[in-house]
Amino acid sequence: MVALEEIEMPKLSLMFNNKIVKEVSVGSRPVTIGRSPDNDLPVDNLAVSNYHAKIYFEAGRMVVEDLDSLNGTFVNDLRVERATLHDGDNVHIGKHRIKVDTSGDAPVPWDSGRKTATPRIDETMVLDTKERRQMLQQAAAMGESMQFASARMKVPTLVVLNGKTDQKEYVLINKLTVIGKSAMATVRLMGWFKPHMAAQINQRDDGYYLGPGDKVPNVNGTPISGPVRLNDGDLVEVSGVRLNFIFRE
Amino acid sequence: MRIVSGGVTDVGRVRTNNEDCYKIVEPLNLFVLSDGMGGEAHGEIASAMAVETVVKHCLDAETNPAAPLIGAVQPDWSARTKHLTTSVHLANRYIFKSAEKNPDRRGMGATLTAVWIDGARLSIAHVGDSRAYLLRGGSLLQLTRDHSLVAEQVRRGILTAAEAEESGMQSVLLRALGAQALIEVDAEEHTLFPLDVLLLCSDGLSRMVTEPEIAGTLQAETDPARAAEKLVGLANERGGPDNITVVIARIEKESRGWFSWLRGGTAKNQGSNGSAGGN
Repeated sequence: MVALEEIEMPKLSLMFNNKIVKEVSVGSRPVTIGRSPDNDLPVDNLAVSNYHAKIYFEAGRMVVEDLDSLNGTFVNDLRVERATLHDGDNVHIGKHRIKVDTSGDAPVPWDSGRKTATPRIDETMVLDTKERRQMLQQAAAMGESMQFASARMKVPTLVVLNGKTDQKEYVLINKLTVIGKSAMATVRLMGWFKPHMAAQINQRDDGYYLGPGDKVPNVNGTPISGPVRLNDGDLVEVSGVRLNFIFRE
Repeated sequence: MRIVSGGVTDVGRVRTNNEDCYKIVEPLNLFVLSDGMGGEAHGEIASAMAVETVVKHCLDAETNPAAPLIGAVQPDWSARTKHLTTSVHLANRYIFKSAEKNPDRRGMGATLTAVWIDGARLSIAHVGDSRAYLLRGGSLLQLTRDHSLVAEQVRRGILTAAEAEESGMQSVLLRALGAQALIEVDAEEHTLFPLDVLLLCSDGLSRMVTEPEIAGTLQAETDPARAAEKLVGLANERGGPDNITVVIARIEKESRGWFSWLRGGTAKNQGSNGSAGGN
């Protein structure tokens, strides 16, 4: 009888700002995590989906599974759909962290050589080739599928609908594009009273952003208040010129 | 184009030595910044070597058409972009060799971000997590990509930008000068416009001061040296945990007026029109 008491169940600690919010043990039933209060680990945060993820045992291994959440489930900084958990792993959901503690029981220490905690590194360091390759491969394995989905060859293009410009159509090959009268502008506006730099379109990591120049352009009829990301089909109006922003296949 | 520039480097509030280094070469309109790493004084040595090598090679390339070109250069780049890229490869080679020869210098390395302005053409060469920003029409745009693990994870969609800011792995670089015998150098060319402002900084600034704050400071304070001082002050007010370096170059409006501008076409290959003002 005593023995039974002493076997500690694997434990999950829900943490926020390094403080424990709630602890549960994982048994035969899955532990659910989400914004809805009927979860085993409710997380009251808008970044968390109602039923965000669950953690359960499968074939002696503890597994976390993302339930098609909007903002994702991360294990030690890597976004996962499903992953095996080990002692010391951290599952990140929104701003919360779930610490995995299987030290009491250690269901299957099948990968005990694995480093768990990542040390905090304050000094700048460079990964050597081997470490770097490993970390990138790890990252690539997780990120690749998402990247391929959106990385179809799509060419951002401005099609001139009306107004005087030096071309009818512009493929945005450069990171920085200027619309204006300047001789160096990509999209050259013709006419005496056009501004040198009416507006700009700049490529950022997540897309193409329209920003003001000497004029404030309109996107789909509304003046912009700062850089805005352009979506396929957006209508850009500036200095009497109407342009259609499209992604060509 | 007339360029006014200024720079500040500061040890910060926590560290005892400054491993950052920068140089403004006004006659060339060349701006170079480096953040060193390595134990003892080796970070300082590495960043100084990086900056000196880049400056020396670019000065040499101006007068010596036979200056060597090394590394992968794209044929359509201007001669200055090619030489700037070469200079970064050279800097990597020197730092790497120095670390190889002196066992106590192992692990020594440096970031490097350099911009060379030639008329309306901007050449950029970059390795590491220092940054080059462009302020144009009130919008601030990061021209360089951080070669850090967290930045790579954000680009791959593994981390969100907010998570990256809280990551304990921010100092892990994927690329730096001196880490390997051969490296890849990011190089780009852009066209500059009057009133554009370029800012180079080490991570001591970019980790403590937000992009809207940088943009606001550059707009409110048009004197480059004073703007750099203000930004460094802001990073220090927030603890200044790392060395902070800021270099600012502002493209003035053409004094010859709009007529020469309108004629255009002369922007390319204006050669040494660099009437660099500054501080």
